[in-house]
Formats: sequence, structure tokens, C-alpha cells
Amino acid sequence: MFKKILVANRGEIAIRVIRTCREMGIQSVAVYSEADRNGLHVMLADEAYPIGPAASAESYLRIDKIIEVAKLSGAEAVHPGYGFLSENADFATALKDAGIVFIGPTADNIRAMGDKLASRELMKKAGVPTVPGTEGSVKDAEQAKVEAERIGYPVIIKASAGGGGKGIRVVHDPKEIESQFRACQSEGLNYFKDDRVFIERFIQNPKHIELQVFGDTKGNVVHLFERECSAQRRHQKVIEEAPSISVPDEVRKQMGDVAVKAGKAIKYIGAGTIEFIFDNNTKEFFFMEMNTRLQVEHPVTEMITGYDLVKEQISVALGNELSFKQDDIKINGHAIEVRIYAEDPKTFAPSPGKIRKCRPPQGPFIRMDNAAYAGYEVPIHYDPMIGKLIAWGADRKEAMARLNRALDEFMLTGVKSNIVLHKNILAHPQFIDGTYTTQFIDSEIAGKKQKELFLFVDENVFIISAAIVAYNEAKRRDTSRLNINSRWKDVGRSSQLRHS
Amino acid sequence: MYFEATTQGNDYKVKVNEGRSAWNVQLSKNDGPWVEHVILKEDFQMLNEAISFMFNNHSYLVDVVGKDTDYNVYTRGSFRTIKIFNDEMLLHESLKSGKGLAAGDNLNAGMPGKIIKILVKVGQEVEEGDPILIMEAMKMENEMRAEKSCKVKSINVKEGQTVESGAELIVFEC
Repeated sequence: MFKKILVANRGEIAIRVIRTCREMGIQSVAVYSEADRNGLHVMLADEAYPIGPAASAESYLRIDKIIEVAKLSGAEAVHPGYGFLSENADFATALKDAGIVFIGPTADNIRAMGDKLASRELMKKAGVPTVPGTEGSVKDAEQAKVEAERIGYPVIIKASAGGGGKGIRVVHDPKEIESQFRACQSEGLNYFKDDRVFIERFIQNPKHIELQVFGDTKGNVVHLFERECSAQRRHQKVIEEAPSISVPDEVRKQMGDVAVKAGKAIKYIGAGTIEFIFDNNTKEFFFMEMNTRLQVEHPVTEMITGYDLVKEQISVALGNELSFKQDDIKINGHAIEVRIYAEDPKTFAPSPGKIRKCRPPQGPFIRMDNAAYAGYEVPIHYDPMIGKLIAWGADRKEAMARLNRALDEFMLTGVKSNIVLHKNILAHPQFIDGTYTTQFIDSEIAGKKQKELFLFVDENVFIISAAIVAYNEAKRRDTSRLNINSRWKDVGRSSQLRHS
Repeated sequence: MYFEATTQGNDYKVKVNEGRSAWNVQLSKNDGPWVEHVILKEDFQMLNEAISFMFNNHSYLVDVVGKDTDYNVYTRGSFRTIKIFNDEMLLHESLKSGKGLAAGDNLNAGMPGKIIKILVKVGQEVEEGDPILIMEAMKMENEMRAEKSCKVKSINVKEGQTVESGAELIVFEC
């Protein structure tokens, strides 16, 4: 067993790892930048070392400094969390060379999945489905017709240099394929001086569904079922749930088998996630990419399977066999996670600053992985996510009810937060019935529809509260002015002046 | 005490009177009829944790942060920024607006960041809501839009430049 682990991260994920370390009787070492001296992860770790200025490139991304601290503190292993150095093959190699264990996949695993195009080719060879499309560019309209027939309608025709809405055509009707192909080809030539054109399947109702996989050094690879992360804003996930209501049982089995096959193809070690684009009309799924690290949304998998993924990562890093077999892993109930960002819920602009009050929700079946506290200053240098709220229920409905209740209880003031955005999402029919896609937030919550949303509190409550506080403030200012510059003193002073 | 308040695009006239055991708050929204709210002091308790406000038997935990004329009010995961002016401030504001250009005519950086793209040219007329520039701060790209119809007088930054909080990015002529 390790005696001491260095956590090369910050915020809620550093705290998450520190907690499991403590439960396992392992000492934890935190590192922090100048902006994070007051970070909760620094206070909860057994030891903490400063590693440089606020900018990530000069602190959390400095491989040399982190290795130096690991050696200085006597840490035998490093957990990278997510982001920062978690998918950096050079970091994994540098640690190995320094005789320190990297709690994560091998450098080869990271490299194999690091390049999007190369990893897709690799997966295709391993028999993992990818979005059907043409191998090279399509020569003429005749070939376009044949290829589209093979791929299956609807298809999307893309000029290889296309962008900004130019040189992209979606074709539903086979009768239109030839004319649309020619139009796309000439647009490519006119706008981008390039008439090469590709054809791909068009996914009409795309969902983001990902599979949690786990491998060990003995060659075992298992999956821990799926997570759905279709609720995204600006291509960043905001709500994740497990299991997905859109995946039928037989497809769930196929996805699991494919994920394990993908993991085995690269001899994957540790926790990883295989992301699929899921066609909610046809229930087909296609490989997008693999994340070779622990995910932000790993808690929902922990809640429905009952396994501590960080504990398992540490165990696998020690060279142990996985503590569970595929047949042991069962889905129990439903879990939903919302990411709490210090940001404007309508514009999504970050809202750094000092948190005044922070009372996170408590009570039955609620989990809070949180880095915020009253008086904490949310730094401007990093991602504005300050925590994650996770609710578990025997079924999806119960999980949603608990999450809603918890959001109502959550008091977070001083900075803007997206708590109210989550309330809007949970109340939306498309989220309730599970048909929401990756376009859901952009088309249903953002933009013009905002005027009718976000109205959970009687407007009078805001105005009256502000007015009474402003009254008290004005009164206090008036009385203090009176006290400091009392009339009696004025009279006294002026009479003294007269006598002198 | 008389106040004027604006929030969410609505204007309120507000009269607050303090009684021995209750607050009397009268509101007129967008010059509509006056509506009176009697708030028992017992129902508006300023506790250490927050203000416990019982309004029409609904229980709210409210936090109010006031600075000058800006009041941020938080409750139940929602918040409003409310501009509040009392008599003294209203006078001050009217003096200020008489001088022509008020603060806010120029586009300043709200936080340190990097200019990704400038979408306007000097001399260009912009309308309210038109995108002006894209700035990256806290790992997010943010589009900054015109607050009102104006003409671009000068551009003080280049694409790719990093700027400090408060830096004057673009000057307008209105």
C-alpha cells in the first residue's frame, strides 16, 4: 500500500481524491498556486506545498515542480485528477523515470487515444463502430448517390474546407442527393478554392452517452455502464446522469461489450471513458473519443454501482487485480449530477469573486463534492466550477425530486451561480421525458426563451428586501454622520474660535 | 424614505416607512398603481446566516449585498441586481447625466483576459445588442455586445492581446 500520495490538482477533484486517501489510511499531499492558498484542498490535505504563480502553466502544469514536491514530501504516487496533467503522456513518463507511480493509464494508453483522428482509425480496426462515412473524397454525383445509399439517409455532405455554415448540406431525400452534392462542391470551390467533398451519416437527435471502463495490469477490462451527458452549454457538460433513460437494455449490453473491446484493444489500465455519439432515433452509437482519466461526472457511476472509483484507481496502480468482475457490477437506481459554476446562468459568463454565504444542501441521498465555503474567493485563473451536487434515487423520478429539493436548499451568495439554470432544466418537459439532445440547452433554455424562464421567486421579494436593507443603510449613514460631526461639537468649536 | 429602483428592465418607485413593529413598503411598478406591503418585523429577521423573510407565508432565506447604488439580492438559487437611488443619489445622478457622456459609454474589460477577436471597425455604427468583440476569460470565450446604438470612435486593443481588469478596450461616440 502507498503511504503517501501527491494530488496534482486543485478544487473539488483534489478534495475528492484526498478524501479517499484518508479513508484508505494514506497521507495526502496537496500542491497549490499563489491564487489557491485559501483553497479547501490545501486545508483538507495532510501536507501542502506551493508550486508557483497563479497561471496554470507556471504551477499546476509544471511537471518538474510537481516531481520535486513528490520527492521532497516522500510521496510514492501522484494522482492527477482531471484536466491539467491528467492526459499528459510526458508527465506519466517523467514520473516513471523518477520512480514515482502515476495513478492513471500508461503513457502508451494516453498517446494512443490522444489524437482524435488516429484513435478513431484505431477503434475502427478493433471493430468499434464509428460514424459511417466515405473513406476519401467523393468524385462525382453518381458516386455520391452510391455512397449515400451505403451510409444510409439522412446524410450530411461536407466540403472538406467548409465552415461557418458554408459548404454543408443535410440531405434527407435520396432524390436530392445529386443536386445537393453539386451545390456543395461548387460552394467549396467558390468559397474555399477546394472542391473535395465528403459524405457522412447525419445524426438527427444526437445524445452524448459515454461508457465508464476500468482495466488492470493483469489484462482485465470491465465496464461500469453508461452516463448520459447531453445537457451541455458551449460544448461543456452541465448535467450528467446514470443510467441513460434513452438506452434500451439490449443496446446497453452492446455498448458495454464494445467499450470493453475498445479497452482491451489498447490494453487499457485504470479508469477511462469511451464517449459515443448516440442517435436517439435509431438507437445506434458511434465512437467519438476516449478520455484516459477520471471524469468530472464519475460520481454518478459511483452512486449507481456502489464502487469508489478513486479507491479502485489507487488499487490498480499498486498492481492489484480489479476488485470486481463484470458480473458483479449491477445498476442500482438512478443518479444525477449538476455542476455548480460561479457564472451568470443566462449568459454563462464567469462570475469570480468572494462567496458570502455558502450552505450546501444536506439530507437523504444527497452528495456534495464541493470546494466552496463562506469567505472563499473564487479565483479568476481557473475553471469557474466550484462543486458538484449529486442526488441518488431508486428511480429517475425520485433522483430528480431529490435534486430539485437540494437545489432549493442550496444557499450560495456573493457570486452568481447556475443553480437557477439547473432548476429550469429539471422543470423542462424534454428533460423530464428524457428526449433532450446535445442541442437542448442552446435551443430550449438559452436565448429568447429566457424571458419566460428563471422565474422561481416572486419579484416583490427581491425589491422589498433590497429596499429595507437600503433604508437601514441610509439610516445608519445618517446617524453615524450625526455622531461624528455632532451639532454640539460644531457649536463648541465655533465658540472656541470666536474666543481665541 | 423614497427610492427609485430598476431591475430586469422594470422601474419601481419605492416608499419605505419604518414603524415600531412593521415595515410599510409601497411599490409602483413602471408608474402603475401603488401597492402596499406591510411586512411585520418579525417576518423580516436579519440573522447571522441571512435574512429570514416570510412573504405571504412563503419562507425565503435572503442575502442582500449593497454597494453604493448596486444591490445584489440572492434567494433560492436566484439573484437580481437592483439599482437603488434615494433622494440624494437621484440628485447626484441627474447632475452627472447633464454633463453628457456618462460612465459606461466605453467598453471596458470586466476581468483580466485575452482579446480573441474584434468584430467592429473604427467609424462603424453599431446597434444595441451587436457583437463588439470576443474576449477569453477564465477559460471561456465571451461575446461582448453593444449596450446601446453608438459609433465606434477608437479601438485600443489588438487581437491576441492580454488585458487587465478595467482596461479601456473600445471608445464609443453616442
